[in-house]
Amino acid sequence: MKEFMMIFSGADYADLGLSPEELQNRMGKWFAWSNKMEQAGILKSGNALHSQMRRIVGENRTVTDLTSAEVKEIVGGYYIVDAKDFDQMQEIAQDFPDFDLGGTVEIREVMVFDN
Amino acid sequence: MEEKLIDHLFRHHSGKMVSVLTRIFGLQHLELIEDAVQDTFVKASLAWRKQLPDKPEAWLTAAAKNRVLDIFRKLKTEQKHLPNLQQGVGAIAIHELFLDTEIADAQLRMIFVACHPALDPRDRISFALKTVSGFSIREISSALLTKEDTIRKRLSRARNAIKKSDLKFHIPLGKELPDRLESVMEVLYLIFNEGFHSNKEDRLVQEELCVEAMRLCRMLLQNEHTRTSAGYALYALMAFHSARLDTKTNSENELLDLKNQDRTKWHFPLVELGNTMMNKAVQDPVFSSYHYEAAIAAEHLKARSFENTDWEKILHWYQCLYELQPMPTHLLTMAVVCMQNKDYKQASNYLEQISPEDLAQRAYLYYGAMADFHTAENNIDKALEFLDLALDSVTNTLEREYLQKKRAVLASYPH
Repeated sequence: MKEFMMIFSGADYADLGLSPEELQNRMGKWFAWSNKMEQAGILKSGNALHSQMRRIVGENRTVTDLTSAEVKEIVGGYYIVDAKDFDQMQEIAQDFPDFDLGGTVEIREVMVFDN
Repeated sequence: MEEKLIDHLFRHHSGKMVSVLTRIFGLQHLELIEDAVQDTFVKASLAWRKQLPDKPEAWLTAAAKNRVLDIFRKLKTEQKHLPNLQQGVGAIAIHELFLDTEIADAQLRMIFVACHPALDPRDRISFALKTVSGFSIREISSALLTKEDTIRKRLSRARNAIKKSDLKFHIPLGKELPDRLESVMEVLYLIFNEGFHSNKEDRLVQEELCVEAMRLCRMLLQNEHTRTSAGYALYALMAFHSARLDTKTNSENELLDLKNQDRTKWHFPLVELGNTMMNKAVQDPVFSSYHYEAAIAAEHLKARSFENTDWEKILHWYQCLYELQPMPTHLLTMAVVCMQNKDYKQASNYLEQISPEDLAQRAYLYYGAMADFHTAENNIDKALEFLDLALDSVTNTLEREYLQKKRAVLASYPH
């Protein structure tokens, strides 16, 4: 088993003008997905992220405060999951609820350093 | 931990919280309040991805209470004159306004605002769906088959009217109440009809309108001041119609008339509910148009088959209805009823009193009835002429397909 990180990006929920009903439905899908992974015993951890952002760039350590509206794609959260390989991860990612909102799942393997 | 949330929890809670917060801060801050409530649901949808709280409703209510403080802070930076909480809501402490009975009270107040005569009749429906029912602009637009931009305009027009007329956030009392109540029931009736009569590929969102209209009507009946026999009759009418909502179209989404609906699929718990409500409605000897419409709907549900329909009775209820509301659509329906009863003389009598222009975009129904009349009189050429007129004026796709089918059958008759 290897450890993978799924990184979710796309538009911010607050900027999409989703209705309470849509938010509830979407939340239900996320809930079902994480339950499924949990029951399979593969979900290690994960979090949703606030959309407010402070960015520090370059030699001068230039600081900018950004809101979701100023960034096209924003990382909204991540999960860390046990899986055999990328193909299996790809399968798992099929249940990501926000593809229809133009959301993206990026799959990255967590690096493990042997002695 | 609950496995699943109650259906429409967010939507319903949104209406509740907007109403309660409006009671605290006043209608002039409605937009700010709506944004704050919306924000609560975005947060909940993220926070509950992995784990639902033990008491989701309590969580949402607590969040809305916190919004009170946020809104206060926001208002403080914008203006000097803050709503005086002590004065504004009397002696009632804020947390008491979040009790179930007070929430229901606040929602009723919002319904009366939404249905206030100061608002343009068309704006009332959109505004009610937004603030009382928690629909988004997109959902309203798709439910009412109207452009999002139009809905946006209606909402802002409604808000302006509320500001301009300085509407009070209260349940009207005394002499004012009957008229205001009538206006509320009319809006609920219209919301229901939007859901029941429009036919769209995606029926789901329209069925929700029916469910929502019933929910709001129930709220009227739960309050002793706003409970009336007309309200009971309206609720009965909605229950009777809803009982056959699923049978209005077949699996190919083709429109089915009463003759061809599968009566075994009518939903009988709703029929029973309608009957119970109707019994309450008739305790008052004064009947409203809703009484007669409900009586007609009940008569249809009573018949085991289309052939067993008691057309005499239905005609009688329509005549009563026509006396209350002398409208050409009722004449048209009475003509159709007479034809079902094979009383063509009386049918023609009614049809002659109608000019199709009076029916506006519903003129195709008149032409369709004329076609039926001439078919019954064995005048197929004339019938085809009227069917063509009907096809020329119909706009709804499903209705058009229905008429085209009818025309094809008729054209194959010997004539």
